[in-house]
Amino acid sequence: MTDAESPTWRIPPRWVLLVAVLSIVAAEVGGGSMARFKVELTRWARDGMLAHPKVHGLVGVRDVDERILDEALVKFDAGLRLFHMHAEGMGLVIIATSMVAATVIRSVTTRRAIIALLTAGGAGYPVGYLVWSVLIPSYGLERAKTIAEWLVWVPFGTATIVALWCLAGLVAWSMLERRPA
Amino acid sequence: MTNAGPHRPRRDHEFVIMSATVRRPPLAVVLVALVMLALGETAGAAMSRLKPEIQRYAAARVAANPAAHGVSGSAEYDDEVRDRAIFTAEAGLSFFHLHGEGVGLVLFFSTALVAAVVPSRRARTVLYMLLTLGGLFPLGYLVYGAAVLELGRDAGTELAERWLLTPLGISAIAGLVGLWLAAARRRP
Repeated sequence: MTDAESPTWRIPPRWVLLVAVLSIVAAEVGGGSMARFKVELTRWARDGMLAHPKVHGLVGVRDVDERILDEALVKFDAGLRLFHMHAEGMGLVIIATSMVAATVIRSVTTRRAIIALLTAGGAGYPVGYLVWSVLIPSYGLERAKTIAEWLVWVPFGTATIVALWCLAGLVAWSMLERRPA
Repeated sequence: MTNAGPHRPRRDHEFVIMSATVRRPPLAVVLVALVMLALGETAGAAMSRLKPEIQRYAAARVAANPAAHGVSGSAEYDDEVRDRAIFTAEAGLSFFHLHGEGVGLVLFFSTALVAAVVPSRRARTVLYMLLTLGGLFPLGYLVYGAAVLELGRDAGTELAERWLLTPLGISAIAGLVGLWLAAARRRP
């Protein structure tokens, strides 16, 4: 029986599912840790910033410094929240899209390449938010963002976007191929 | 596959785990879900990489439509109006990114469930249509962002809500309720 007669799903490789589930687990743990260790995390970040006054432009005047520290702490917290949110979402995106790739793409090489890009991109991208947060105390807001951007967000985000559009194109192509003449 | 051991005869009341192939939805539905996910991802990247360009474009559109935004000629007031319009346009793009990812996944998994659990072909077709229309819901936020710049905040919001967000949102809700009812009615 051909696929067109009885369309069914094909499961992606097990390592892909493991990576996706691990991403979701990391997101859950991240979310839980943010709530449970909020005070400790804030204290750690604040101590890190105070240890690098030049990086953050601290001048030693309490009124000025507190405002700078507060802004950096908000970004630190935002990075953790965005990691939590993106890792959960991208875990599901990996499962859904790799299942489509496993089902629709016939060429083994193309299928493997697309699934690898989707998995690496989807699992790697959220880590950028964690990297950003962790680097803020030592490198400052902008430098930490630049490092996370070029080290993680650009390569992994590009991988995901390219793979998703390629997959959409291949699904459209597959629809055209199956259409009766 | 069963949970009965190999050396023990299986009794009738023992629980049997069976696996079966799971049907998938039509490729057209899968394609809409994928495109929505891809658009959501791309919008997220654009928001991050093209922020100044987007802000400049939004400011230029406000300047090109002064009447729609109630620009008065008073610099202080006009700056506030422009900032508010830019913020709204950026919010539209941000909502599009968020909903594109989320609704893309909802469309994918809900139609996968429809394919797997709804036995009637006609019911499946109706649910696919409702859910796919609902899957286009995030586009309403893209229109919202653009319409606010062209027509002003109130008129733009009204347009996006009335013609896109409300009907497409209702379609998604109707599809999900239909799926719930079909799954509840299903006999084992």
